[in-house]
Amino acid sequence: MSIIVGYLPSKEGQAAVHAGIREAKLRGEKLLIVNSVRLGSLVDKAVASPEDLEEVSKLANEAGIESTILESEYRDDFTEEFLRLADEQDVSLIVIGLRQRTQVGKFIMGSHAQRILLQANHPVLAVKAEQN
Amino acid sequence: MHTQDETTSVSDPDNEPENGALTPEELAKEWAAEAPESSGPIANLLACLAVLGLAIAGMFISAGLGLGTPQTPNAGTWPFIVCVIIAVMALVQMIVGRKGENGGEKFSKLSWYSLVGFVTLLLLIALMPIIGFEIPSLLLCFVWMRWLGGERWRSATLYSVIVVVAFYLIFIVALGTNIPRLF
Amino acid sequence: MDFFGPVADGFSTVLDPTNLLYCLVGVVIGMLVGILPGLGPAATIAILLPLTYGIEPVTAIIMLAGIFYGAQYGGTITSVLLRLPGEASSVVTVFDGYVMARQGRAGTALGIAAIGSFAGATIAILGLTFLAPLVANFALDFGPPEYAALALLGILLVATISGSSKTKAIIAAAVGLLLATIGRDVFTGAERFTFGNLSMADGIDFAPLAMGLFGIGEILYNLEERHRSAAMPAAVKRVWPSRSDIKQASPAIGRGSVMGFLLGILPGGGATISSLVSYAVEKKVAKDPSRFGRGAIEGVAGPETANNAAATSSFIPLLTLGIPANGTMAIIFGALLIQGITPGPQLINENPELFWGVVNSMYIGNVLLLLMSIPLVGIFIRILRIRAAILAPITVLITMLGAYTIRNSIFDVFLVVMFGAVGYLMKKFGFEPGPLVLAFVLGGLLESNLRRSLLVLEGDLGGFMGRPISATLLVVFVVVALWPVIKSGIMRRRANSTLVPPLSEKEKV
Repeated sequence: MSIIVGYLPSKEGQAAVHAGIREAKLRGEKLLIVNSVRLGSLVDKAVASPEDLEEVSKLANEAGIESTILESEYRDDFTEEFLRLADEQDVSLIVIGLRQRTQVGKFIMGSHAQRILLQANHPVLAVKAEQN
Repeated sequence: MHTQDETTSVSDPDNEPENGALTPEELAKEWAAEAPESSGPIANLLACLAVLGLAIAGMFISAGLGLGTPQTPNAGTWPFIVCVIIAVMALVQMIVGRKGENGGEKFSKLSWYSLVGFVTLLLLIALMPIIGFEIPSLLLCFVWMRWLGGERWRSATLYSVIVVVAFYLIFIVALGTNIPRLF
Repeated sequence: MDFFGPVADGFSTVLDPTNLLYCLVGVVIGMLVGILPGLGPAATIAILLPLTYGIEPVTAIIMLAGIFYGAQYGGTITSVLLRLPGEASSVVTVFDGYVMARQGRAGTALGIAAIGSFAGATIAILGLTFLAPLVANFALDFGPPEYAALALLGILLVATISGSSKTKAIIAAAVGLLLATIGRDVFTGAERFTFGNLSMADGIDFAPLAMGLFGIGEILYNLEERHRSAAMPAAVKRVWPSRSDIKQASPAIGRGSVMGFLLGILPGGGATISSLVSYAVEKKVAKDPSRFGRGAIEGVAGPETANNAAATSSFIPLLTLGIPANGTMAIIFGALLIQGITPGPQLINENPELFWGVVNSMYIGNVLLLLMSIPLVGIFIRILRIRAAILAPITVLITMLGAYTIRNSIFDVFLVVMFGAVGYLMKKFGFEPGPLVLAFVLGGLLESNLRRSLLVLEGDLGGFMGRPISATLLVVFVVVALWPVIKSGIMRRRANSTLVPPLSEKEKV
């Protein structure tokens, strides 16, 4: 059994990874870190560089957690892709980071967090960015 | 739209080279692996036959225009010569390319997108003189963004409207061109 | 050598505010196009052809030229920052430039590329300034046989040197020649291949053909493209190479300029080949070749200088002889035709303000490139984040609506779409559009010169060999045409031939 974390190179992504590590330790499970990127542009903020991924792996290793990194691509729907991966790997928990969005932003862009919470077949842990 | 051809790769950051940098040979291999598949011998044969057919038709039509002589070239002389060259080279290519290595790519599932795109362009041409460019352009943008591009329908609609308005402002208001329009 | 008068006039032409503005626009669009995947300078120049209808010839060519050499530099930015070559001529820059970026020296890499590009272009422009009048004067004595032989050789060189399959390129060129015959025959008045259609009676217009083949064709092809996005590159820190860096790179820049200049003049040569050759040469002459591929500054300076020098010198055959050196030059040839100017040896004398205006605009354009390249990097990266799904319909609409504005004719737009389909199919089946367009623009001139030659020589084809220049050209033609056969004969005689798999390159016109 494993825990899947949706990772982005951002504060929210960091928070999600930390939460994922804590949970994995508590439950004694493996960690699956997913960086899923949208196809179509040459450069994307959501893409995690090799250094980002290395750092995240290190964090997991230091906490004594076995971790795997998955890099995937999707064409139109992140939620669909992410939930598909969660079902495929039959995880015990989904961990995502939450971002502040205005009402208008949510309307136009849609909220993946909302859809994941509502559509997931597994328990979801949603965390906010850590206030340092 | 269902996701197609999703690829997931498990990467082990400890194994990647230090700088993320690869030697030229490794880079070339990576690019070659990512490059689309070659179209193969059948495609080569088909293309050559099509070209050959075109050339032979051309030869007949040029002959009909009058071949003349080297002293007095006629309207059909030059086209005939060119068609002969095309026909000969098509035959050469049929032989040279029979293994199907060089050039060309296989048609994939994604090639349907190109066909759809092509059809939308024809529709734009058909509709534009009748109802102006605004509505056909709006529809084209929407189709391209939503189905060919995978945008969500809300953002596709919004961006389509912005684009068409911008084009209206630039082409009609600023440049004053005579594109058929509704408003 | 009394040309200082016209050269000075050329500068005053360039410093005209309109021309300066269009130069700036061209260079910025060029850089943008070089950065964005999917659209090359050829496609962009083709798409912007309708824009040239309403402006002065000088202004139009200044802008189009700016797009061309601006794109060479734009491709460097993605090579260095993202390991993705934006243009075929920036492929080798990836090897050392990206490594330098990973070492925190992205600014140095970009800076030395900008300096090298500027130096290369300057040397090429100087060469152009001195060489062009000589060549043009020499060519003024050309008669129809010489010009016909030259056009044939030019087409053959472009078809055989660049690209992978020679036979397919020749087929494409021949089809281009055939397309040029459509319409009313000038000599006899007969209608050829028009099938009774009135719109075809005047022949196929250049602009819709170019816009369709290069513009729509490329866009339709890109609908299939899938690539994984790259991570946001780290902010570029120190943006200027140090004095020692510049000193280390100078010999490479010097060599690159000369190589690029020479390789650019040759039809079929051009920016891509010169960058490859420069990299190979730098690696050979370096005291420590193992540095290459690990962040050797010469590996960036040499090729970048060479490709810009080549891009600039590839204007020489066009402006002095009227022979385009590659597909993009063919489109610029077409742009000149649209303006009612036939490029050829007489161009320098009959339109000196055009010639020197364009040449001098290249100085200004390269200065602008140097000034703007680094500050604009941040903005360009932001633009790269726009998804292709949004850019594609915008480009398509610009092309379609733009095509309409040429003659307010929906038939033109239809032609554009049809040629777009042809361009797409050509790409899928491995035929290059460049030779087709080149042969198309030269086709009419080639045929009329051939027929005039036959009239002059009174039907005696042997007369071609009787004239020294046309004889030489024809011999070269035959040698180039038979070269593959000769080469395989030589290879078979060699006892041991170790076959090294060639480095694959991304081909983008």
